[in-house]
Amino acid sequence: MRGRRTTQSEPVTELSSDTELLSAVAGARVEALRLLHHRHAPWLRARLARRCADPDVVDAAIQDTFLAVWRDAHRYRDTGAEPAAWIWTIAVRRLVSALRGPGHRWLGGHSTTEATTTAPSAEELVLLRVEHGDLGAALDRLPPELRALIQATALDGLTVREAARLLGVPEGTAKTRLMRARARLRELLS
Amino acid sequence: MTWHVSVELFEAYDQGRLDPSRVMAVDAHLQACPVCRGAVPVDVVWLDRSWSVVLDAVESPATDRAERVLQRLGLPEHRVRLLSATPALRWSWLASTAAVLAFAVVAAYTGRAGAETVQLLFLIIAPVLPVLAVATAYGPPADPMHEITATTPLAGPSLALWRATAVVGVSMAMGLVAAILLPGPGWYALAWLLPAFLLCVSTLALATAMPLRVAAGVFGGAWLAGTGALAVSGADVSPAFHEPGAQAGYLAAAVAAAAVLTVRRRRLDPGETR
Repeated sequence: MRGRRTTQSEPVTELSSDTELLSAVAGARVEALRLLHHRHAPWLRARLARRCADPDVVDAAIQDTFLAVWRDAHRYRDTGAEPAAWIWTIAVRRLVSALRGPGHRWLGGHSTTEATTTAPSAEELVLLRVEHGDLGAALDRLPPELRALIQATALDGLTVREAARLLGVPEGTAKTRLMRARARLRELLS
Repeated sequence: MTWHVSVELFEAYDQGRLDPSRVMAVDAHLQACPVCRGAVPVDVVWLDRSWSVVLDAVESPATDRAERVLQRLGLPEHRVRLLSATPALRWSWLASTAAVLAFAVVAAYTGRAGAETVQLLFLIIAPVLPVLAVATAYGPPADPMHEITATTPLAGPSLALWRATAVVGVSMAMGLVAAILLPGPGWYALAWLLPAFLLCVSTLALATAMPLRVAAGVFGGAWLAGTGALAVSGADVSPAFHEPGAQAGYLAAAVAAAAVLTVRRRRLDPGETR
């Protein structure tokens, strides 16, 4: 990248925080991007592999993700989200657009990125405690197509539209399923 | 955080053996917990390969703005790359053309010789600039990249024509800007366009029979000698530009040259030594 400011002030190491690394990446430092990649690519790969059976698509999505991080790291400051969550949102969107086929790189826009990553949703917090309550059992009893919707929207931070794309159903269907899934969960939990 | 993802749990997750609810729990936990993210087993070979792909893309040179504009206009990338390697489209070339034209304009305003003379000089010289650009657009020795260009499947007449079109477009556009800035009757701005076009097309047409540079020399020289002789002999040169008959003649000749070029285009000098 020509013409980008290169600051060599603070060295980045294995111990640097994600936020520090992201700001170093924004200063066009490849070393910082390498550290971020090595730190995040393995879990992203494992998590993306739960959503897409094709390892080539997953690999391509991960490479795209770090290219997007390289390009957009300067935008990170504005969102104020947790770096890992920010990177995950990019990764899952890349996966969705890879599934959509070539030629369509981005879905939604930065506005949705910000909206979905600023804070963990209530559902997400509940999911963290899924081990201890009856929510786990309730989720397991949900029909798979409804559960997939809950997973894509509540957990992956996708919009309903992107979730529909990921699951290969029309947007209207996805909306209906999400409503049914919520109603069903409420029923199972009461 | 009350619990962490154990090795067994992660293995089960990775192999897809978990209940859906536990998969979701692990997902949510991984996103929130740096310790567990760090504990995910690393496939070093995979990681290095993935990084090398990212690094390649990060370090590949960015496409320049001009190339992006051309691509947006629908030209394929390889063609854009070969066009942008044209010597006459380099900054040094463009700058020298701009300087020549700028001097002409400045001289027309301040020259001691009188605006008339400078304007005529402009009209005589402007048509030759695109011809010079065409002469250096393709082939040795003007193009240092020629050896490499010659190995591409596009090399040869088709590339020579593409580049000629590009350089003629650029140099005529620059000439037009200069001509508009020139003091004098409005027709000056347009009068040299047809002669310039004629010279370029006939240079290319003649290049089907002899090397491009020689062809450019023949027509550029003939134009300069003809108009120069006319000017030196004291005759009025301007009718050669503003007479409708003269302009129609240029147009007809250009059409004829274009026809010759179309018929003989396969023999267009690709710049190789024969």
